[in-house]
Amino acid sequence: MNFDLSKGLEWAYRDMLTFFPENVSTFGAQLDSIFALIYWFSVATFFLTYGLLVIFMVKYRYNEHRKAYYFHGNNLMEFTWTLLPTIFFVGLGLWSDGAWSKTKYASRVPKPDVEIDVLGYQSGFGWQFRYAGPDGVFGNKDREQITIANPFGIDSNDIHGKDDFVIISPGGSRPIPIHLPVNKNILVNLSSNDVLHSFFLPNFRVKQDALPGQWIKVWFNGSKIGTYELACAELCGSGHYNMRGQVFIDSQADYDKWLDEQYKISKPVLEAPVLSDTTIVASADTKDSKTTKN
Amino acid sequence: MQTAVANANEIHGHDTHHGADHAHHELSFIRKYIFSTDHKVIAKQFMAVSLFFLFVGGLFALMIRWQIAYPGSAIPLIGNILPNSWVSDGAVTANFYTQLLTLHGTVMIFYVIIPLAVGMFGNFCIPLMIGTDDMALPRLNMFSFWLVPPAGLIMLSGFFYDSGTAAAGWTGYPPLGPTSGPGQTTWLVSLFMIGFSSIMGGTNYMATVLNKRAKGLQLFQMPLTVWALFITAILITLGTPVLAAAIAMQICDQYLHTGFFMPDNLLVTAPDNTYVTNAFIAQGNQLLEHKQLLGGGGQPILWQHLFWFYSHPAVYIMILPGMGIVSDVLSTFARKPIYGYKAMIFAIMAIAFLGFIVWGHHMFQSGMNPLLGTTFMLSTILIAVPSAIKVFNWLGTIWKGNIRFTAANMNALAFIATFIIGGLSGVFMASAPVDIYIHDTYFIVAHIHYVLFGGALFAIFAGIYYWFPKMYGKMLNENLGRKHFYWSFVFFNLTFYPMHILGVGGHMRRIYNPYIYEFLQPLQPMNQFVTFAAIILGFSQLILVVNILWSLKYGKAAPRNPWQSNSIEWSAPAHPGHGNFDTDIVVYRGPYEYSVPGRESDFYPQTEPPSENEVPVHSGH
Repeated sequence: MNFDLSKGLEWAYRDMLTFFPENVSTFGAQLDSIFALIYWFSVATFFLTYGLLVIFMVKYRYNEHRKAYYFHGNNLMEFTWTLLPTIFFVGLGLWSDGAWSKTKYASRVPKPDVEIDVLGYQSGFGWQFRYAGPDGVFGNKDREQITIANPFGIDSNDIHGKDDFVIISPGGSRPIPIHLPVNKNILVNLSSNDVLHSFFLPNFRVKQDALPGQWIKVWFNGSKIGTYELACAELCGSGHYNMRGQVFIDSQADYDKWLDEQYKISKPVLEAPVLSDTTIVASADTKDSKTTKN
Repeated sequence: MQTAVANANEIHGHDTHHGADHAHHELSFIRKYIFSTDHKVIAKQFMAVSLFFLFVGGLFALMIRWQIAYPGSAIPLIGNILPNSWVSDGAVTANFYTQLLTLHGTVMIFYVIIPLAVGMFGNFCIPLMIGTDDMALPRLNMFSFWLVPPAGLIMLSGFFYDSGTAAAGWTGYPPLGPTSGPGQTTWLVSLFMIGFSSIMGGTNYMATVLNKRAKGLQLFQMPLTVWALFITAILITLGTPVLAAAIAMQICDQYLHTGFFMPDNLLVTAPDNTYVTNAFIAQGNQLLEHKQLLGGGGQPILWQHLFWFYSHPAVYIMILPGMGIVSDVLSTFARKPIYGYKAMIFAIMAIAFLGFIVWGHHMFQSGMNPLLGTTFMLSTILIAVPSAIKVFNWLGTIWKGNIRFTAANMNALAFIATFIIGGLSGVFMASAPVDIYIHDTYFIVAHIHYVLFGGALFAIFAGIYYWFPKMYGKMLNENLGRKHFYWSFVFFNLTFYPMHILGVGGHMRRIYNPYIYEFLQPLQPMNQFVTFAAIILGFSQLILVVNILWSLKYGKAAPRNPWQSNSIEWSAPAHPGHGNFDTDIVVYRGPYEYSVPGRESDFYPQTEPPSENEVPVHSGH
């Protein structure tokens, strides 16, 4: 039950901006700079308003010999303090929109160098990652072929899917890391088969909810070799806190080597022994879903 | 308009007469104190129930805080007496932790802040401040209160299920919500009931303000508290039915296997393997059973749209009454007219209107089309403008005032101070690209607590200190009031300010054990600091309870108008009975005529007839 007071005192003097985890993504600096702009604007507003508040409280404290100033307000003042914030906030909105559309609009996702599929999962709380395998092309996804053994619903009729491999990383203190190359545009197709999760890479300033029933494109470009943590930021059950993942940003050569090894040790999804129930489930479900569709 | 006012007066006149008749025959104890239709008794009932829930919700918060500061270590004092389904070796389990955070949010919002801000002050202030005898629909008013205790019991009863109570957060997002067991159902049913309580209250407030104003009282002569509550009532009446519909849809998804929110082909594990909605029941990687159920084809985001379409305006439902209360308290104790009365009203209206078109800012990272994010970002950022107008007007009000530092006024000033910080931190998350990083982190937790605890709750405290004499006919102890204020204000800031920093450090919300993550491990000392501050903050609220109980028994008898205030309620007897006023109320002016030049006293009650040789005063200029 240790409690380090000296650290608390030291922190009290530290600028809030210094608490950000190191930024290692290409667009992260722009997001951080908008944060910093709002931060300094807030600091200025804070001192302006608190200054007035404290001065008025001291200067105009109660005195029985004095009468307050009978004054109902001034329209020019009202106009001024409506207009100035409006100009600032509209400007902020327009500037923010540039960064927002760049990071999130599907139409502005850059051409990917590496593409992976990611699922958050709730039964055990962790992440599933799918790499395209040696052919570099993903097999088609078919929601109606989703089973426990084939969480991505890789289409068994698609030849490109045969070499796709899946890494299942349980959460907790020892997740199975995934690797990605440095200085490359990474595209993550994100979804979930159970509840909402949120794909949060603090160092890359990336956060996107995983939405069952929909694949969402998330992109980033890591600019520094190193090991980074992946977290879940949307409540997904009692093990939510445990959905820790690890991302290694490697040089291209190290990444290629790792990819090769992973392919060799992984079992292709579609050739894995299938639980006897699953087939029944899949077919029953196919039938059911088709009825819904029609 | 003229006819409407005349008509209202007729009704009012009739009702006063009726009320006087009632006063002659004694009501039974049950009709007088339990199933009462008197708005003041109902206000007291709301106050008692909500203050009880304040401590329940606070206890949940402290248990959450203990776990974050010292994960896995036993909760002091109570850890070892809690049942084994909640704790292991005295420390909360992960499952119980998610239940606690769900219930903390739900209880504080729906059973504490809304009933206090709207139920208690709406009931107490509206009829008295517009100079009438009771609500337009007193029986509906009684029903609106009597839905709250059963709803609260149902909410708490969820804890006694083997699988525990709701554990999907106060937002109850599907698919987690509908698949997480019967506790979620008690949560939904309870919210449905309390929603109806709100709707009943809201319609009643609107009817009362529009139809029952005292003779001569025009809309633009009403105190800002009444204006704020009136606009809040409109928000409630427009927003709450949407939540009710969404709740009904989630119950249908859970039990009738409809597909409003549930997509196809889910692989869901349920805690008790019973309430799996479609396709599979699984545990670990083992497929246990396949249930052919209906459902599927739905969209989880639909819930988020419906939920936030209510719950964002709900933020304003919680804070607007506080803004009104603070305006009145501030003007009274600064002995000065409120600065920019009409600007304040238009700002409230602007906040209320914008409040209905910004809900998507809760969903920037939800997978909603990012183009909508742009729209919602712009509307959200604009809400800072009316908020800024209000802050500047409050500052203008105390400028050149003659400020009395009563416990009520200190809480009102604290409201402004914390609302400034809460408003500024809101600008960060309003900017969608900044929100990418801080979304679902402690930065959001800090913001919501600055607005709802620092904002709404301090305003509620101000209101309690201000109107307690009229409510109970006894003065609250000022000394204890100041102590309660100092302890609350200092430890409020020590609790919630560091949460901004935790958020900047990337600390996610709703995390049972943050130190699984390496990047959060250095933040543990700060979490411990926050926890100790929170414990002191929690215990300092006992001062308020002691003050209330002590003052009820030993407090000085309150005079009719202890604060030399202008508004109409202070013309009523010190402890008004059923029917409120002992004189006919005629209103001659607005509520903010303080320090009028040429007058002996520094206040000029709304109901005081102008002296014969007096030049009429303009309100406004």
